[in-house]
Amino acid sequence: MATVLHRRLQNGISVFIHPTEKFKTILVQLFFHRQLRQEDVTQSALLPAVLQRGTVRYPSRRQLVLHLEKLYGAELTADIVKKGECQLVVYTLDLVHDQYLPGENRLLRDGLQILHELLTNPVLENGAFKEEYVRQEKEQHEKVIKGLINDKIAYAIERCLQEMCRDEPFSVFKYGTLEKLREIDAASLYGFYRSFLRESPAELHLIGDLDPERTFALVQDIFRFARGTGAELPPTQVHIPVEGVRYVTEELDVNQGKLVLGFRTGLTYANADYFALLLYNGILGGFPHSKLFQNVREKASLAYYAYSRLEKHKGLMLISSGIEFKNYEKTLDIIRKQVADMAAGNFSKEDFDNTYSGLRNQFLLEEDNPAALINRTVDGMLAGKVRTTADLLNKLRSVTRDDVVRIAGQVKLDTVYFMTRRGARK
Amino acid sequence: MTRVIEYEHLKEKIYTRQIEPGLNAFVLPKKGYNKKYAIYAANFGSIDSRFIVEGEGEELSVPDGVAHFLEHKLFEDESGNVFDRFAVLGASSNAFTNFTNTAYLFSTTDNFYECLEILLDFVQEPYFTTESVEKEKGIIEQEIWMYEDNPQWRIFFNLLGALYQYHPVKIDIAGTVESIRRIDKDVLYKCYRTFYHPSNMAVFVVGDVDAGRVLDQIEANIAKRNYQPLGEIKRLFPEEPEEIARDYVEQSLVVSQPILNLGFKEHDVGYDGKALFKREIATSLMLDVVFGSSSPLYNELYEEGLIDDEFDAGYVAEIGYGHTIVGGETLDPEKLADRLIEGIQRRQREGIDADTFEHYRHKMMGEFLKSFNSLEYIANNFPAYHFRKINFFDYLQVLQEVTVEDVNRRLVEHLDLKRMARSVIMPKAGKR
Repeated sequence: MATVLHRRLQNGISVFIHPTEKFKTILVQLFFHRQLRQEDVTQSALLPAVLQRGTVRYPSRRQLVLHLEKLYGAELTADIVKKGECQLVVYTLDLVHDQYLPGENRLLRDGLQILHELLTNPVLENGAFKEEYVRQEKEQHEKVIKGLINDKIAYAIERCLQEMCRDEPFSVFKYGTLEKLREIDAASLYGFYRSFLRESPAELHLIGDLDPERTFALVQDIFRFARGTGAELPPTQVHIPVEGVRYVTEELDVNQGKLVLGFRTGLTYANADYFALLLYNGILGGFPHSKLFQNVREKASLAYYAYSRLEKHKGLMLISSGIEFKNYEKTLDIIRKQVADMAAGNFSKEDFDNTYSGLRNQFLLEEDNPAALINRTVDGMLAGKVRTTADLLNKLRSVTRDDVVRIAGQVKLDTVYFMTRRGARK
Repeated sequence: MTRVIEYEHLKEKIYTRQIEPGLNAFVLPKKGYNKKYAIYAANFGSIDSRFIVEGEGEELSVPDGVAHFLEHKLFEDESGNVFDRFAVLGASSNAFTNFTNTAYLFSTTDNFYECLEILLDFVQEPYFTTESVEKEKGIIEQEIWMYEDNPQWRIFFNLLGALYQYHPVKIDIAGTVESIRRIDKDVLYKCYRTFYHPSNMAVFVVGDVDAGRVLDQIEANIAKRNYQPLGEIKRLFPEEPEEIARDYVEQSLVVSQPILNLGFKEHDVGYDGKALFKREIATSLMLDVVFGSSSPLYNELYEEGLIDDEFDAGYVAEIGYGHTIVGGETLDPEKLADRLIEGIQRRQREGIDADTFEHYRHKMMGEFLKSFNSLEYIANNFPAYHFRKINFFDYLQVLQEVTVEDVNRRLVEHLDLKRMARSVIMPKAGKR
């Protein structure tokens, strides 16, 4: 892929243009970075929903959607993402490239204009957001916050993280709290919006068959709204000492137990040892050939799923598995044994090599996925170093078996969470 | 002989060959992609639990969940786990079973031809032992329990149970904890010998590969196995009445708010090929007009707080059955059902005009093109359509042939309140 153009607009928004001929689409993503903190995380999570209710040109949600649909089913969505102790408000615009549509050549311009309109020209009444829209979106957002429980696997993971990081900003739920939500009204949210737009560090990414210079000129022409200089966000707290393992059990009226183990690795995407950690996690639980899948599932038949994954900006690793309530101790023992084996260097050359190949494959596959390429750049910016595929592969290649054993010694179990049923035998 | 089909609009070409004794293989070259993806699919799903092979013995009836069980077990060979053989090559492998198909796949950036050989080999070399079959039961049992706690899965199968009186589509794909206990290696081998014959399978490959070489390799692999032709597989399904089984079903689970799904049962089934594809596209377009996020109905319900932005409507068009499912989370499932019914009736009175129709056709065209970024999406869909005698790449063509009359007809005949069932999940009372 050709080089990424990275340049700032006058208003401070960082623009990244990734030219590639591979895709039939142009993907545009705009990221606003926020400090993850209880004070205003609820407001930033609610804001996109209110903005999507209408603009001066498209005063209702329906008119906005109809207009996007006219651009060959363009989609404009907003998501809330947590990376370390940073909350990202992400706008995504997915467009078909003109070249597949006879007679079209304005799709990107039109799409960007809608995005700009949505951000900067909301429907107002009495100098604030429209009361009705805010009330309705608060009700919708309440359902989002409460809805975490509906996915038991995700709920168990979130609960483990909350317990583990209870004294750190990381425990803040990315959608905020019901208490804070109740305090929000049309005027306060509008005030928040003005500072949000002015101050949040922002990155705009475009990927597709694009001419970088012409695309930059187009972006510059459209995204002209004035902004201040945003304060830098505080770094994520990574080095938290572990003083013994904490055990948390929660009872719910469910059919299957959910076991989640939270570990501190002390290593993030910014560290040179991160690539050793990738191999560590991969050998332990990142693949079907890994220890967790092989021992918890294949050998002991205790679970359908058993895996580990990393939180690359906070320095955490999670192990997750769904089991029968009564197999709690048995499963925990097997998992502990696998973690201990990693620290003792009990893994084969084949385990190491297979994991290396699997990770290499994953890096190469990211090149085929527009959203993954953007995400990689966003991760790189957060960690202070954007890496190309070639960089990533070099770093991965340089990891030795000794590196993996060395960093295994610093991966510390912090919290064990178990979702069980009342009265179930553990 | 290799045929090349060119899709000018999509800027894509497909290379295809029919390989003796009846395997259809397809290659979609994608220059510049790192990913190479191959899928080997059998026309065998959870609904195929009673069958007879022409010219061979008697009718067989197998326990529910056998297609899915077989999928799990095929991943084991004499030397152990097939995952490992792909892992050594840096590839990742997987499989899935749904109502009508079972598919095995891998994705890789390197060693593609070696990986393809492993895929072809392991799918054609079953190795089931009593011990390994017994061991798998614990794993699948946990898979079943996991889904028992999944509200979306539960509401879906509860609804199918209300729509269908006898058709096996109403049974969970994995079967039940009880039915899988009855599965043994003999049952697996019997199903394998019938449904994994090349004439009941298809291969689809996508990525930056040499189409001729891929097709030759598949042909050589099949040729060395000396397959005998297989008589036609007759799948036996119970006679399914037009009427639904019951119009309401409810379950309580640990959820934050109720969920409502409305289901509409297709009564005129048995089509395949273009007729079925056209029906699928026309019906999907119709659903988008009635329930899509730019429809008046959706926006009214959203503003009233009766639905959220996950509210959705989708249509399934199989040869032997078909249904629409509409719904989502809601604070008031009864009121939402009433409002949806009103909305449907209002739309049926007013009809769909030509401008509205064109608007959604335009949108669907863009959505189809967007989906082409995902090689998996193409590869996972292609064989499933192929087994219904549909070429997935004809989508844009068939979309152009659909008329506003087709869509209006579907609006009336398919969204028939006489064949509508409601499925509701309620939050469990008391403690969470």
